[in-house]
Amino acid sequence: MSMEQSKTSVTVTNTAQTAPGMSAREIAIKYGFLVLLLGLILFFCISTNGFASPQSAVFILQSVSITGILALGVTATLVVGGFDLSIGSVATTAMMASSYVMVVMGGDALTATLVCILIGIVVGLINGFLIVYMRVPDLLATLGMMFLLVGLQRIPTEGRSIATGMSLPDGTVANGTFSPAFLALGRHRFDLILPNLLPVSVVVLIVLAILIWFFLEYTRFGRMMYAVGSNERAAALAGAPVNSYKISAYVISGVFASIGGILLAARLGRGDIASGNNLLLDSVAAALIGFAVLGAAKPNAFGTAIGALFVGVLLQGLTMMNAPYYTQDFVKGGVLVVALVFTFALSQRKR
Amino acid sequence: MTITRRLLGKLTLGLIGASALGGVAFAADMPAPFDKPGDVKIALVRYLSTGDFFQSYLAGVEAQAKALGVDLRVLDSRQDAALQADMVDQAIALGVQGIIIQHGLTESMKEAAQRAVDAGIKVVAFDVNVENDKIPQIEQSDRDLARLALEQAIKDNGESWKAGYVYVAGIAPLDRRDETWKEFKKKYPGINEAAMFGTMDNPIANSVANQARSVVSANPDITVMFAPYDEFAKGVKIAVDEAGLSSSVKIYSADISTSDIAAMREPGSAWAATAATNPAVVGQVSVRALAMLLAGEDPGKSVIVPPTLITQKDLIDNDIKSMEELGAKLPQFAHADVAMPAWMPNPNAK
Amino acid sequence: MVQEAVFRVDDLRKSFGPVQVLGGVDLELRAGAVTVLMGANGAGKSTLVRIVSGVYDRDAGRITLAGKDFAPSTPAEAIRAGVVTVHQNINDGVVADLDVATNLTLDRLNGKGAPLIFNPRRVRREAKAVADRMGLSIDLSASITDLSLADRQMVAIARAMAHEPKVLILDEPTSSLSSAEADRLFEVVERLRARGVAILYISHRMSDIRRLADTIVSLRDGRITGVFEGPELDYEGAVNAMLGKKVSAGEIVVQTATAPVLKAENLQLAANSRPFSLTLGDGEVVVITGLVGVGKTALAETLFGARQPAGGAMTLDGKAYAPKTTRQAIEKGVFLVAKDRGENGIVPGFNIYENISLPFLKRISNFGVTNRRGERNLARTQIASLGVVCRSERDEMNTLSGGNQQKVMVGRWLTQASRMLILDEPFQGVDIAARRDIAAKLRASANGRATLVFLTELDEAFEIADRILVMSEQTIVGEHRNAGINVDKLLAEIAGQHQMVG
Repeated sequence: MSMEQSKTSVTVTNTAQTAPGMSAREIAIKYGFLVLLLGLILFFCISTNGFASPQSAVFILQSVSITGILALGVTATLVVGGFDLSIGSVATTAMMASSYVMVVMGGDALTATLVCILIGIVVGLINGFLIVYMRVPDLLATLGMMFLLVGLQRIPTEGRSIATGMSLPDGTVANGTFSPAFLALGRHRFDLILPNLLPVSVVVLIVLAILIWFFLEYTRFGRMMYAVGSNERAAALAGAPVNSYKISAYVISGVFASIGGILLAARLGRGDIASGNNLLLDSVAAALIGFAVLGAAKPNAFGTAIGALFVGVLLQGLTMMNAPYYTQDFVKGGVLVVALVFTFALSQRKR
Repeated sequence: MTITRRLLGKLTLGLIGASALGGVAFAADMPAPFDKPGDVKIALVRYLSTGDFFQSYLAGVEAQAKALGVDLRVLDSRQDAALQADMVDQAIALGVQGIIIQHGLTESMKEAAQRAVDAGIKVVAFDVNVENDKIPQIEQSDRDLARLALEQAIKDNGESWKAGYVYVAGIAPLDRRDETWKEFKKKYPGINEAAMFGTMDNPIANSVANQARSVVSANPDITVMFAPYDEFAKGVKIAVDEAGLSSSVKIYSADISTSDIAAMREPGSAWAATAATNPAVVGQVSVRALAMLLAGEDPGKSVIVPPTLITQKDLIDNDIKSMEELGAKLPQFAHADVAMPAWMPNPNAK
Repeated sequence: MVQEAVFRVDDLRKSFGPVQVLGGVDLELRAGAVTVLMGANGAGKSTLVRIVSGVYDRDAGRITLAGKDFAPSTPAEAIRAGVVTVHQNINDGVVADLDVATNLTLDRLNGKGAPLIFNPRRVRREAKAVADRMGLSIDLSASITDLSLADRQMVAIARAMAHEPKVLILDEPTSSLSSAEADRLFEVVERLRARGVAILYISHRMSDIRRLADTIVSLRDGRITGVFEGPELDYEGAVNAMLGKKVSAGEIVVQTATAPVLKAENLQLAANSRPFSLTLGDGEVVVITGLVGVGKTALAETLFGARQPAGGAMTLDGKAYAPKTTRQAIEKGVFLVAKDRGENGIVPGFNIYENISLPFLKRISNFGVTNRRGERNLARTQIASLGVVCRSERDEMNTLSGGNQQKVMVGRWLTQASRMLILDEPFQGVDIAARRDIAAKLRASANGRATLVFLTELDEAFEIADRILVMSEQTIVGEHRNAGINVDKLLAEIAGQHQMVG
């Protein structure tokens, strides 16, 4: 027994001595995913025409902007040790709501946007209330909310998609139109290097990513949210209003999802009935891949953004190489599994 | 100018079906059992129901049933194959005289359909092959849809162009449209398929737009996009707009909706033409074929509802902004003279 | 008392890694007698119970049951051999979603020869037989979730008794029962004793022990430190043997409080407990001691706002003090180093400095933005002053030993000045060197606040306290200045002797 003990302490000293250089495994865990991403980009640049261009970079960002925004929201719930399955349906509900406000009720862009964000807040509050005060487990509460919203978004139009000129259940015709200001959210482009390069959705993604990253990493509220997720009891005994933090996380998630829905509506220019399950799955995948980035082994905004980018680069490259859609799902799944192995198996050993 | 019933119909197109009173008024001229239509019960057993197409189809079924004055029961399995088969049995138990099977899987519906036939019930099937000689198939001709759109593409662009093609295998109507695409490629060797892509991840238009962005940036010289499903076309259009290629790419598609019309009408829209069958008409034809069976007439082994080609020019010239206006201004879209014996009330007429 | 032991443990040893938990335990249980096993936290009671009930393997030693070797490798085997354990957590002994009848016959639904078909009528019949034998009068069709804790406990015991055991082990069976409920349990235990079952009864509650014990065995640090038998049981001796009186008073210079900081008047922890008053002064370290389950943690949490008192009032520096939340307590300068640091203290995802700054982020942050440099400086100060062994303040908590983790937990609450610092069992799972460091730091920094430490171990109390208060049955029953202390009186109070007087 004492032999073993002394051995352990020797190892400890060794690690301590080599600490500045870090072991190969630590480097692999910390930078492996970023290297993989760079390698992937390099591979596509070489093997595909047109991949290496500013436009292509912007396409990738645009293609992941909506799932990326949703993923950043779900990251907040993961941080407090929860989960939000309702984000996909919140996004599609917001899409329907904004279309309904503009096309059926004849509202303007501002009203439509505010209504969507309000929906996000309300859904987040209800999710938080169910989880914190009704003690419904997070997965179940948000699963229920998901079904509820999938149904709810169809009720006003009896399951029809919303577009100008559609006939309503009462027989009248909806004459409202998508306001140009609203459509600009999906279609306007800012000049950057090249004229008309950067779409609004990418700007929104970047701004939200920086905001949530700063919030989680550099404010005391973010830190307390991590504490709540890691040891709720300890956080409570350190004076943290645990319930408020948990509810806030779901509100953040709801609002981010509704912003995603607004951008979706602005891009499509109509209200499409959709469950949003693919949005949910892709964004959860991005957030989980994010665990592996920089060896964080925990939910983090930077990782989530990288995770979303990773999925975007893969899909973009594969599409350019004419790979059929099912291989893309396969590859997405593969990346997720590898990321989870990075997170759970490799970095656990470090502990 | 003689006022025929057809003309009267044209004048009042777009209004929803005849009133029940109207149905009764015609009842005297009708063959049995439609002389007492209130006693006739039919059931619509659905597999797919969410989405504009299915809403519109249902509206057509309801309109024709109302015009006939029969009692319609709608059973909706919401994509549950086993439940749909059970619903056929449920309809048999309800004592209906006729059943319309709308979509479904051959494997699950074949035996259920046979049970209904064995129970002496008349059955028609829409867009599902139940492998039964006694059951007429109602079809919107997917091959014709693809053919009309592609013929227009040839007409607009000549016989030689570089194409992008949106396709997801394993979905029956898309597979049938794909057959026509393959025939065209054989017939016109000048067609060069530079890229094939597609996904059913919803919202489909958004996911397809992401893919199409990659495709057009990898192949900026594509001039024709064949997207034989309107969700695909919508996605391709978004991508083409975003890439600023609206003037150099033309999109040919199948199916149509009010929002598709708006997208096609946009100034400088890349969406050149679409071929479509009015789902409401398909719904009407389904009921009419069933009614013919019930009246002892033969609608034929397969009842094909012909599609209509709708070009950007048609929409703009006729100032068509919605499905209702499309029906009113392109009569061939609002009504198909299929399964239309003389006694059959036209739901589009008053 | 000449009766032969039916169950005998000889020189039982068990270690977990380098830690020896049982260092040669000898124990005898006689048929028709209740043997009470007393031991403080970490004395090795649970390990002993788990070995005997087949959960753990032993390292060395011999156990015999009715003269035959007894070496169960699974709990099921122990039960078949006739040694049945009712565990402390009542809900481990019953299945909450099933009804009473099914619970009583649950063990027959498993194993060889169990019928394939679940027959409710047969289950009901068998359950009734079991219940009758125990004199249990509970509606057999009731659901467990509708029963009181006491009734659940009865069901768990009845279920255990359905095996007709020779030896029954009850692990702190009254820890969550009221005294009326406990009385019902005692009747059942007495009935079982009369039927000739050998009972090992593990408890700290002196009232239980007085009522039931035929023999008391004290366990301390993995060894039996005292066996007390005979018609006149020496309760104080048993407590003494369990706590290990090693009076080392005189090592510290006892301080007297300068001014009162916290005053509690007629404080009541539970609706039916006796009110008590308490004054804690500036500059003194007060230890509240008492057996497990007498309300020490409840008092700590009440002072910290994590729990509301049933009655009474408190003042802090002369002003009314009634914290509704822990945040309010912290804002008023009342801090708690909670017990069970793994559960209540450490945030495992955080490194040392993040753990230290946790409660005071608001004070360290500028407009909500954290100040990492400030946090790290604070952490470095604490690491140096408490002597935390680590590479840097950015080390993960799980790289630290228990003692160093506890130093971080104490350091967390020393970074800011407090009016009252409460520590609940701060020496749990802490090696002796770290304990000395923490104690020295607490005493050295005691001026300017009141320090209140809850401890079960007496020698730890002697090491750190200026004053020692004794708790028993949710109230304070004695007070001692830690100089020339009357240890016998102290032990008597801990053992609950005061009740005889009161």
